[in-house]
Amino acid sequence: MPIPTLAEKLEWLKPAPATPYEIECAAKVPQGDYEIGVQVTNDILDEAMEVFVRSSRSYFGVSGDSMVAIFTANGDLINASCGTYLHAIIQPIIIKFIQKYYQQNPGIKDGDIWYTNDALYGGIHNPDQVALMPIFHKGKLLAWGSAALHTTETGAIEPGGMPVSAKSRFEEGLNLPPMKIAENFEIRNDFLEMYSAYGMRAPAMFISDLRARCTTADRVRVRVLELAEKRGPEFVTGLFRKMSDTAEAGARKKIRDLPDGKFRSIAFNDAIGMTPALVRSCYLTLTKKGDRITFDFHGTSPENPSSYNVHPQAVVGHVANFMYEYMFHDLPICSSTFAPIDFIFPEGSIMYPDKMAATSCCVYIAMQTRNATQNAFAKMIFSNGALWRQVAAPPGSQHTAQICAGLSQWKLAYSDVLSFALNTMGQGGRSAADGMDSYGFAWCAFGRAPDSEQVESELPVTVTLSQHWKDSSGPGFHRGGSGGVQHWMVHKVPEVISMCMGNGSKVPLGQPLFGGYASSPIPGISIRHSDLMKQMADGNPQLSLDNRDILERQSVHGDWNYELVARTPKPYEEGDLLFGFSGGGPGYGDPLEREPSEVLDDLRKQIISEWTARNIYRIAYDPERRKLDAEKTKQLRDEERRARLARGKSFSEFEKEWNKLSPPKEILQWYGSWPDAKPTGPIIR
Amino acid sequence: MSPETQSRIRVTEYLDLDINREEWMCNRCGRVLGPARENYKRGCLMHERDPREIHPRVVSADFNFSPDPLWIRIVECYCPGCGTQIETEYLPPGHPITHDIEIDMDSLKERLRKGDFVIRENRLEAAE
Repeated sequence: MPIPTLAEKLEWLKPAPATPYEIECAAKVPQGDYEIGVQVTNDILDEAMEVFVRSSRSYFGVSGDSMVAIFTANGDLINASCGTYLHAIIQPIIIKFIQKYYQQNPGIKDGDIWYTNDALYGGIHNPDQVALMPIFHKGKLLAWGSAALHTTETGAIEPGGMPVSAKSRFEEGLNLPPMKIAENFEIRNDFLEMYSAYGMRAPAMFISDLRARCTTADRVRVRVLELAEKRGPEFVTGLFRKMSDTAEAGARKKIRDLPDGKFRSIAFNDAIGMTPALVRSCYLTLTKKGDRITFDFHGTSPENPSSYNVHPQAVVGHVANFMYEYMFHDLPICSSTFAPIDFIFPEGSIMYPDKMAATSCCVYIAMQTRNATQNAFAKMIFSNGALWRQVAAPPGSQHTAQICAGLSQWKLAYSDVLSFALNTMGQGGRSAADGMDSYGFAWCAFGRAPDSEQVESELPVTVTLSQHWKDSSGPGFHRGGSGGVQHWMVHKVPEVISMCMGNGSKVPLGQPLFGGYASSPIPGISIRHSDLMKQMADGNPQLSLDNRDILERQSVHGDWNYELVARTPKPYEEGDLLFGFSGGGPGYGDPLEREPSEVLDDLRKQIISEWTARNIYRIAYDPERRKLDAEKTKQLRDEERRARLARGKSFSEFEKEWNKLSPPKEILQWYGSWPDAKPTGPIIR
Repeated sequence: MSPETQSRIRVTEYLDLDINREEWMCNRCGRVLGPARENYKRGCLMHERDPREIHPRVVSADFNFSPDPLWIRIVECYCPGCGTQIETEYLPPGHPITHDIEIDMDSLKERLRKGDFVIRENRLEAAE
């Protein structure tokens, strides 16, 4: 079976043309019944999502960073739960692949469960696994249901499923092309045994998550069948067709109502695996004409020999995260919303690498596409009277994806992520408001930080603090939302093995918008041989559990380490402390326009420091009474505006000096040629 | 509303497009920034900033919560009339400045002429 080509993948993302039968069925769905039918699909998905969260074992699942979806019989997405939209939009590729190649052998039958996690065949990256069930009504294929979830283990060369040191796909562990894993509603034992062999670092989580996907997909199947029994299969087919047509019409209207033109945004990444390296992770040119938009990624850096590459459909998935959160937030989550959208990927780029490329950390590259998309769309839609309130800077996506593995305090093998630092990112500043503090996960706005007591009861860590971290968000007229921080103390076991995935230690991720500033980078911080446990046991009255205070005064003693956030696995002993950060959102607009009273509020909430209030926002106030000096503030801000006029250079004068600069050669190893990022040589894997 | 105001469209928080005169203007002070068929940044005052001036170090170490100025700089675009910071971009030193907004002027004018769009409160609204 051939690996799907890029052309096939892009074609399969688009909805199939309506058949005469579908058109006939859709015509019989009256208004009123249509709206009720749409809500029934939402209810099915909500219920299935609840089943999913409750039956998952990994913290991605517990946090709701997952997706349940319904598809037509031919595999087009019809609706999806509030979750990881990036998973839903690309699954039609998998279903259409199965239908094209496996119709006869092994055949598609009632009671099947199909399963895959291979990005070559249409996934995001191999920790993201999906179970798909065909839904047969009286022997006829009516629809498909699916459940997708990231499990933090794949049997790769490092624990956690996203090996930062993998150089090819052969070091990434389990990569399953689409395959049938269940017949007659029963998972095959031979598959389970093979599958378990890849999950022996964390067997309970690995198998529980597999079963959670299957049972969730089955719940979708059962409820869709109930709808078919109640209203007839023609109603289901007609409802789906109508939802698809409505979504496509809505998407086309939104696009048509924007000005034609070209809109560009660029994003940079500062880590290739565990190596600090600068790459142009996304060079996006959006061309909008009539009711169509083309995403052209020419100018993006070439592929590299690490796991920080991404296959094209995973880029589309990340674009979908922005589109469904902001641009298409009021449309059904349908394949058809992408019917008017085309993509151009340059072969050999970091987002269209060779089939042998490692891509398990692809999300760090693909998220930069989401960020660039959000930035370019802001410039395309701000002029639109109906859409300008959807303008926002991208979310804070830098974070500490800390994996811990080993034997838990219950003597159980585990390998899981400490997902507070994922699900508490700050939203980007918005056109009409600040970004929300700790709004969610850039990959899943609906994700929730897990309960700390539950984490402590299952994993060998004690959470010693959870709070917003000061100055994490980007300043602006509307500032970005604050990120969160937790400190994790290894506890109740002699040691854990811990590693970290990520980026954003040298370069802020996510461009700010309209004169705002970006959010802060994040280092990888740990304290070995820390005396925190002793200080707590001694009841030290001087002990502060404020993140900034601990950082500035080093009031927890031990061997402090400041590293790139991406770190390879190392042992940490009981009492060692790990710092977990989620990024703040970039800012929107000129910080000198921020209401001084809001700056004082930020100070009161400890979202910003006194330094930021005085030096970025230029407010004058009495620090003891937190009382604003309005006159002096106006004077300071006027002075800063005059200073800008004095130091600013004309564009040509600026370019003359600017063009002489370049980054150091040693960080451009994987960038491509400078500055146009063209490939400079082959990659040997 | 004056004819001039009716021809102005807000393209960003601080950037207006005068469609009749085909000019970029500062939304805050009305200063003309230049021809709308060119990059508006050409009409701005430009400044490159060491990112540590905005994101200061929190700790004394190589990785310290501050962007590395060898890797990235902040390019600031100011209105030459009022000093408003119209746009910022985080770019590696020497990286070409992005031409981020290139509106198809002919298409926009034609759609306004045909009545596809109307300008209401300085924004485009699709005619029903």
